[in-house]
Amino acid sequence: MSRVTFAHASEAEFARLFDFYRIIWEYEPRSFPISWNEHGRPVEFFTPDFYLPEYDLYIEVTVAKPARNTRKNRKLRLMRSHHPWVNAKLFTRRDVERVFSRSVKRAS
Amino acid sequence: MIGEPLFDSGSIAERVADIGAAISRDYADKTPLMIGLLSAAATFLADLARAVTIPCHLDFISVNRYGDGDGIVVEKDVAIPVEGRHVILVDDTVDTGLTLQYVHKRLAERRPASLAVCTLLDRPHRRIVDIEIKYRAFEVPDVFVVGYGLDYLGRYRELPALYAHGTWPA
Repeated sequence: MSRVTFAHASEAEFARLFDFYRIIWEYEPRSFPISWNEHGRPVEFFTPDFYLPEYDLYIEVTVAKPARNTRKNRKLRLMRSHHPWVNAKLFTRRDVERVFSRSVKRAS
Repeated sequence: MIGEPLFDSGSIAERVADIGAAISRDYADKTPLMIGLLSAAATFLADLARAVTIPCHLDFISVNRYGDGDGIVVEKDVAIPVEGRHVILVDDTVDTGLTLQYVHKRLAERRPASLAVCTLLDRPHRRIVDIEIKYRAFEVPDVFVVGYGLDYLGRYRELPALYAHGTWPA
């Protein structure tokens, strides 16, 4: 994890969580095109924060306030629409808070 | 901080009886080894074991939680050998699935004849690791639950029902 530069502290915390549970992870390994111009060239991409190869799962973490999640939700929706075989989950600010709450650390 | 029960003791007893009957049916010609994940699953497993009408063996396992040490390890291992046994891993709550996947893997490495998961509560909203849950008593919404073995900073484990706690501790 030490060689990875994370865009946000919450991503670093997720990496620590995966390390603790001995789950192999990759940080932003792939960008998925989600919109194209009239020539068929991709003009917009979605790059999930994590990929967990053992579970073939992408995870996107956002700590923006719910009202500002619209952009990420749109990107995730487009990705699911254009790449339906990709398994991706969005963790919102509230999800992040609760994943790392003291009680869930004990009970999950 | 807690009000009316989310699930009262009667509802819990009913679901425990249902699961006990299902396990008795599914393992009719076997002697399953039921392994509880300490500490919160102890109450559930104690009741479940009495609801099962076939012979079964009981044991417990515990792991450290996130924040305690550099990585997850088994702190208290099972005493009964797992190899060749029909194992039912009994958890209190499946949330992210991270703890469960670790314990499930460690038990699977010991080559049980079968390995199933039973949980009191399933909170699937933040699931990271999907593990098949064969028996679940209740699916719960995005609330923090106490009582019937589940605690909030060490409190409420002794309550006979399950309650939604007003806050998630930081």
